[in-house]
This record gives sequence, structure tokens and C-alpha cells, in this order.
Amino acid sequence: MSAIVVDHLTRRFGDFAAVDGVSFEVPEGQLVAVLGPNGAGKTTTLEMLEGFLSPTSGTARVLDVDPRRGDRRWRSRIGLVLQSASLDAELTVRDTLTVFAGLYPAARPVGEALELVDLSDDADTHVGALSGGQRRRVDVAIGIIGRPEVLFLDEPTTGLDPEARRRAWTAVENLTTTGTTVVLTTHYIDEADHLARRLILLAGGKIIADTTPDGLRARDGTVTIQYRPPDGVSLDDLPATLSPHLDPATRGLVIRAGDPAGPLRDLVGWADRHRLGLSGLEVGPPSLEDAYLTAIGAPAVERSSP
Amino acid sequence: MTDVTGHAQPRMPNIGRLLAAQIGYQGRLLASGRAVMIGIGLPIILLLASHQSHTQTTGADVARYAVFGLTLTAWNTYGVRLVATREAGILKRWWATPLPRWCYFLGRILATVVVATIAGAATVAAGVLLYGTPLSLSGAFGAFIVFVLGSLAWAAAATALTTVVSTIEAAAPTFLVTYFPVIIISGLFGAISEPHWLTTIASYLPAQPLAHAAGLALDHTAGQTWLPGRDLIVLAAWAMAGIAIAVATFRWEPHRPAKRRPARPSQQASPGPRMPPPAELADLPAGNPSTSGEVRT
Repeated sequence: MSAIVVDHLTRRFGDFAAVDGVSFEVPEGQLVAVLGPNGAGKTTTLEMLEGFLSPTSGTARVLDVDPRRGDRRWRSRIGLVLQSASLDAELTVRDTLTVFAGLYPAARPVGEALELVDLSDDADTHVGALSGGQRRRVDVAIGIIGRPEVLFLDEPTTGLDPEARRRAWTAVENLTTTGTTVVLTTHYIDEADHLARRLILLAGGKIIADTTPDGLRARDGTVTIQYRPPDGVSLDDLPATLSPHLDPATRGLVIRAGDPAGPLRDLVGWADRHRLGLSGLEVGPPSLEDAYLTAIGAPAVERSSP
Repeated sequence: MTDVTGHAQPRMPNIGRLLAAQIGYQGRLLASGRAVMIGIGLPIILLLASHQSHTQTTGADVARYAVFGLTLTAWNTYGVRLVATREAGILKRWWATPLPRWCYFLGRILATVVVATIAGAATVAAGVLLYGTPLSLSGAFGAFIVFVLGSLAWAAAATALTTVVSTIEAAAPTFLVTYFPVIIISGLFGAISEPHWLTTIASYLPAQPLAHAAGLALDHTAGQTWLPGRDLIVLAAWAMAGIAIAVATFRWEPHRPAKRRPARPSQQASPGPRMPPPAELADLPAGNPSTSGEVRT
């Protein structure tokens, strides 16, 4: 059964279509990452699913309810982490979570929520005294305190340091083991790669890809060849097919090609002439970031079907 | 209660309990701010400064300073905090919870009424304890009723005003500019009897009736007016008007700066073909999603 069903969802602001005919479904228990550049329509889509915004046309249903008509019971089944941290600073973390826990029919114990976001040691600290990353984790704790069946995370790790991001990821991973459906928007490709098995790419308000991380890498059919010649070896006689791909700063070759046979043959021949080993040579699909950038830079859309 | 699958659903929390918890929560937030200390401390300091040893400090004298503290709390402190809470996205965060929105607001306003009434009562207590202002039981009870109604009127009006204040930076100036002229023409810092039209206007604003009613209540003796009906009607009208305007116009989301986004190049007008689910998604353990997207060409 689908926890979320979106059908030709459109939201216009004047003549500007922030979301333009988006359709997708999310099955129960799935973690979906929604990616896209600034202004792609990620947050607007989420706000319609959360019931904050009405669509101009199209429909959205979350847990089989129109979000704009969601009642208390429906709200108690939804968890939200909004894009900007928004908490009263005067109370302690524990007091804040206790107040929010009281709103839900079957709330998680406060201690459990604190543990999930790794804030047990800061339970008695005032929210106003926390770092930005810690406040963000309090926000995540509020989002999950009611044991939501569907959790919306709008750029939950923006502004966090790498360690805090890892901790937030662990919290989200812990949730998915309990069957929570998670919709995550993020600017971080590595975050999407780490957490999600499904990616929805938005650009210009439209879905340009709905695939897996591996599917996105393989989407344009290119192969990436990476090789860094040893120091001291002259690169002046690199074949013309390779030299444009040389990064002078790192002395590394990064070649993206639909058919790797030609560049590989030239590289092996050049290395043979110089009696070089090819340890460190990597041949494989492009990085997810490269694939993402290619996808949002090339409006022609195709769904990957490896 | 059961859901469509027959699973028992836990009972939603009792609304009365939620409201009580919300009043406690908002009261703690309000009381923890320094602004409230100004609402309690400043009127007492002014009462001390204005005291003349050869005259009796009457209930009416104390009432003017008590109303000053009460209105500072219910108008400035409450109003500025409400704008700040909205612009920081905190109201939106509450909107996203199962707490009914009316319950959040009622809790917030009632918490303000409690704290503002305490601010007024503190000044009255200072007058009684320091200067022997006479206070009967009926006087105290009457003042309590007036303080509660007055706090409600000012907080409701402040809620209505927040709808036209779009930034945190504009909140404090806006609330002060609308506050002090009303307080001054209402005679809280010295009686104003001329021009007549000005005193007439003041009698319809919420400060003068509040101070007048509180003074009468505190000075109440047998056979005299205890609670003046006209003053209470003016305060009730302000409370109802403020609530009505707030219900009609209040926003839960922060203001977004008005900007026109550049129109994108025209996309194809007709929706693209629905696409089959990607093959790899069919293998996901959570199910087989039916997905569709639109093609840009």
C-alpha cells in the first residue's frame, strides 16, 4: 500500500509554476530522497504534502487523507522537520520534548527520542544554549516523538558539521527499521546516496528522474576512467584523446566516455611506452554527484531502466 | 477506536489537559523573559518614585501603575514575542502538531492573562504593603476581575496588530508607538482633562476604562460603584474585536519577502507520458511503487 500518492500536483505563484504536474507514489516504509537545485520545487512539494499549502491543481494524499483536510488524528500520524529550526529557546531539551510528547496518543518516551538523536547528554541543557547542529537534532526529535508513520525531513542536515550529519543519518536509519515512511529533501548527494534507495530529482518544478542511486549513475550510459600518472613522468606526449581530460593541478586524468575502449587503449599504450604500471586505474560508472549534475543540467528526461 | 485495518488506535489526548499544559508551557516561556520583569518591576519603581509622604496613596493611584505594568505585559511583551515566534517559524512548528490551533492560541492568551494579572497584582501588593493603601476583599476581587478582562482585551488587540507587523525588527517600534500615546492620553502618568475630544477618545480606548475600573474596584466602599459597567463593556468590546480580527487575519507562517521569481522558459504545455516504474524499484522490499514523472524534451 502507498503511504503517499501524488497525482499531477501543481502549485503556481502568479505565473510561476513552482511545482508543475508532479506525480509519484511512495510505498509504506520506503525512504525517498527528493533532490534538486534551489528553486526546484522540493520544499513547495513537501509543504503541499504536509498540508501547509493548497495545490493549484492535481491531488496529493498522505495516509489516504488530503493533507489540507487532515484532522488531529492524521496530524498525530505525521512527523515533520521543517527547513529552518524553530524552537523556543527558554526551556530545556527534555522539557521541550515532554511538552510535544504530550500532544500525541502514543508518543515515544522522551529518553528514547533523545537517544535516537544522540542528545541524552544534553537533555537538561536549555535549547537556546545548544549549537545549531544540536538544535537541528532537537527538531528531528520533535519530528519523531509521536512515532510518525510518515516523516517529512526538509533538508534536515543543512548547516550541520560532518559528525553531526552522520549522527542525524543514524537517527534516520534507525527510524526506517521501524517501518516509518520517510521523505527527505536534501542538497547533499552523499546524504541521499547513504540513506535512500530511491531518488526523485526535481528541476524547474518537474520530475526529471525517479530512480535508484545506481540507476542514476548508469542513467546516461557513460563510464568514468580515472588515473593519476606517477610523479616525475612527463605528460607532454599524452595522446590527444587524453590530454584535454588532464587536471594540471592534480595531474589526474578523469575521462567520461560512452565507450571506454578507445581512451583505455590510448592510455594503456601511453603507459606501456613509459613502462608505467596501471595501479590506481579506476574504470566504472560516474559518481552520483556527477550523474546528478548531468541530470539537472540536461533537461532531456528519461527514467533510467537498467 | 479502530482503523480501517481493524487495529486499535490509541486515544487522542484530552483537549482540556492539552489546554492546561499549553497554558503552563506558555506561562513558563513568558515568565522566563526579562521583559516580564520590566512589566512587574517598572511600575513599582514608578510608584516608589511618585510617592509623596504627606498624602495617602489611594487605590486609584495604585491602579494607574498596576495598569501600566499589566498593559506592558499584555501588549508589548506578548505582542512582540508573538511576532518573533511567528517569524522564527515556531508557530508553524506548532501548526504541524496534532494540537488544535485554537487550543494553542487560547493557551497562549490565557497564559498572558495570568502573567499580566500577576504583574498588576504585584503593584497593588506594593501599594498596600509599602504605603498602606486600603484594600478590602471585595476591592481585591473586583480588581482581579478588571485585570483579567483588561489583560484579555489588550492581548486580543495585540494579536490583531501582529497581522500587520511583518518583521521582528518592526515589532518593538510598532507596539511602542501604538502603546505610549494611548497610555499618556488615558491619564496613566497624570490626569488629562483637555481637550474634551481627546478625553472622549481615551474613554473608548482600553487603557482609561481599565485604570478607571481598577481604581474604583480598589477604592470600593459600601454603597459605591464596585465595577463600572461602561468600562467593562469597552474592555469586552476590545477583547471581542481583537479576537475577531485575529481569527480572520492571523497568519501562522513567517512573512516571505515579496519577490517576483523569474519565469522559466516555457515548458511543454501538455503533461508528458506516464512512465513505468523503474525496474530496480520493483525489487525494493517495501513494495512495488507505481511512479510517474513528466518528460521534458
